[in-house]
Amino acid sequence: MDPIKTAVDKGWTSLSEYASKQVLKVWDIPVTREILVQTAGEAAAAAEKIGYPVALKPCAHDLMHKSELSCIELGLSGPEAVNSAYDRIRETIKSPLEGVLVQEMIAGNRELVAGLSRDPQFGACVMLGFGGVMTEVIADTVFRAAPFDAVEALDMIRDLKYRAMLDAFRGQAPADLETLCGILTSLGRLGLERPEIAEIDINPLIIAPDGAVTAVDALMILEGGPR
Amino acid sequence: MLSTISDSPLYKIARPESIAFFGASNKFSAMGSSILNSILTDGYENRIFPVHPKEKRVFDLEAYAHVRDLPEVPDLAYIVLPTKIVAETLKACGEKGIRRAVIVTAGFNEVGGEGAARQAEIKAIAREYGIRFTGPNCIGVVNSHIKLNATFLPSQKRTGFIGMASQSGSFITQMFDYLGTRFGQGFSTGFSLGNEADIDIADCIRYLGACPDTRAIALYIESIRRGPAFIEAARDVSLIKPIVAFYVGGSETGKKACLSHTGSLAGPDRLYDGVFKQSGIIRARSVEELFDFCYALGSCPLPAGNRAVIQTHSGGPGAAAADACGRAGIDLPALSPTTLEKLGAYVPHTASVNNPVDLTYTKNPLDFFHAIPKILLEDEGADSMLVYFLATASMIHRALAGLNLTKAEIDAQVEKIVDDQCSSVAALMTSHNKPFLGFSFLTRENPFVAALQDKGVPVLPSPERAARALGALVEYKRLREKLVRSFEKSAKLKASS
Repeated sequence: MDPIKTAVDKGWTSLSEYASKQVLKVWDIPVTREILVQTAGEAAAAAEKIGYPVALKPCAHDLMHKSELSCIELGLSGPEAVNSAYDRIRETIKSPLEGVLVQEMIAGNRELVAGLSRDPQFGACVMLGFGGVMTEVIADTVFRAAPFDAVEALDMIRDLKYRAMLDAFRGQAPADLETLCGILTSLGRLGLERPEIAEIDINPLIIAPDGAVTAVDALMILEGGPR
Repeated sequence: MLSTISDSPLYKIARPESIAFFGASNKFSAMGSSILNSILTDGYENRIFPVHPKEKRVFDLEAYAHVRDLPEVPDLAYIVLPTKIVAETLKACGEKGIRRAVIVTAGFNEVGGEGAARQAEIKAIAREYGIRFTGPNCIGVVNSHIKLNATFLPSQKRTGFIGMASQSGSFITQMFDYLGTRFGQGFSTGFSLGNEADIDIADCIRYLGACPDTRAIALYIESIRRGPAFIEAARDVSLIKPIVAFYVGGSETGKKACLSHTGSLAGPDRLYDGVFKQSGIIRARSVEELFDFCYALGSCPLPAGNRAVIQTHSGGPGAAAADACGRAGIDLPALSPTTLEKLGAYVPHTASVNNPVDLTYTKNPLDFFHAIPKILLEDEGADSMLVYFLATASMIHRALAGLNLTKAEIDAQVEKIVDDQCSSVAALMTSHNKPFLGFSFLTRENPFVAALQDKGVPVLPSPERAARALGALVEYKRLREKLVRSFEKSAKLKASS
């Protein structure tokens, strides 16, 4: 099943976090381990399987900027916490959900943002920046037009003003640049091969203390959406 | 990559052997007359056929009532006519067999409304007859190497190695005086592109890449129409020749609203920055930088690395250069013991033999032009050299005035000394294969500066500008190496699949 085709067929203008990450995974972009559940019981079982602590998030194609809704439950360390977090989410969000997402917690204070946008002259363009919630404030972002290769992706990383944060940093290992380059080139190819996608945000893309790079949240906007 | 330059649609636009000229009359104030006047004044040596419905002669050239009356099929039609008769003229040129045109006339896409329909009409005519053209709404073409200046201002009649493509109307023409008075140069070839209804900036990059007279390519960019073609052309050409672009940030307000962070951060300025990098293009932040960079890149070999040595005989300019080097990513290594030992014989005790090497004065003033830079260029710790020039002919005049010589003898001596010394610097530069950039607050009115520049030694008007130009050389080397790695990788991939 192709989540993009499903969404287009239903006339949706964006994909849920879960569906977005399903697409990214196919393109070899590392994403958090996560399970979409429909009940509190399923949530606890999923948390057990993933391993504590976990995060719970409401999941729907039309929930775009979740952190602004204050409905993300982080660092849940046992079944009771998962249970009550599940109930809180169901109470807060009255709109229909695809489910609740039980997700592994990725440790790491180095946050990047990566994404795809479209330019009328250059087509699919890939962005990399320093981010998390500070993305727009720090505004350290670099772009390349797709397609480009890993050599170019490495140069893109080099262009970041605060690139020193990707080296060994306060006791943390250097970021896995090979994977990061792969993420950037994949986003470019995804943009070229799937014209239905208008924009992609991977924010944050967290670098763990061991250097591993993981897409922790993702958003895909489809063409023909409310832009 | 073009296999030969004559495959480019711009070949006969830049090197026409004959031109049919539409829009010149004996009324001197008309735009067409100004352009034809420039062509004749600059000394274009090939055939020109003015076409005019009434005049029998235009500027002493035989004029023809209609293009079909011309005694041959010219390489190029130059059209500077009222908007409403451009289409029929282009059609008549097509019927005559002319296959290249420059359409200077405005009043097309840039005015909106009916202009767009008029542009579509000339494009259709061009397609029908296989005509390739620049414009409309452009200012023309210049090729100093065949003395062709088909723009409305006279040039300085100098040849040069900077090729240019510009999306700003008459920018090229306005820069004639600038290049001439600052660097003693003209454009190798320059294209004004106007609306880019047919030939665009990507075509120009390929042409200038293949042009033997062009050693560095300057681009003035407002908006790139064919993104992928631009990147591909620039990546191919950057491997063999440096490209420098000046882009004035596109309007951030014109873009559509986006829902993602990525979309909202994707302003044209940041995007163009990335596009230039992946295309191997060096971005200039001002018009001065555009030409400084091209001038230095076209004059110097590529540096092995980012380490420079600075030679000066005045503290201030040397310190300013050192400071600017820091900001331009240029390191200033300590001189090697061998260099220090060799320098000993030439430097006064007041000198500082750190880097910058501040000589304060030299025992023999002429050592500044040969013995000392030679030693510094031989230092293996330095990849390039920056030299402050403050030599005036009047100092030599004064030195010679004591020697019972006539004024003519003194003048001849001064000229010879200037020439010898500058030739010596130029010879040093070519024999050491390291970038060598001079800087001076003197202008070309000073015979040393003019002679150095004319012999191929780049001299820039300030230490900061010289340091930034050196930074551009280092950047080009880095970008070029990246492209080479990328091409090698894709060749390997192709070979293995």
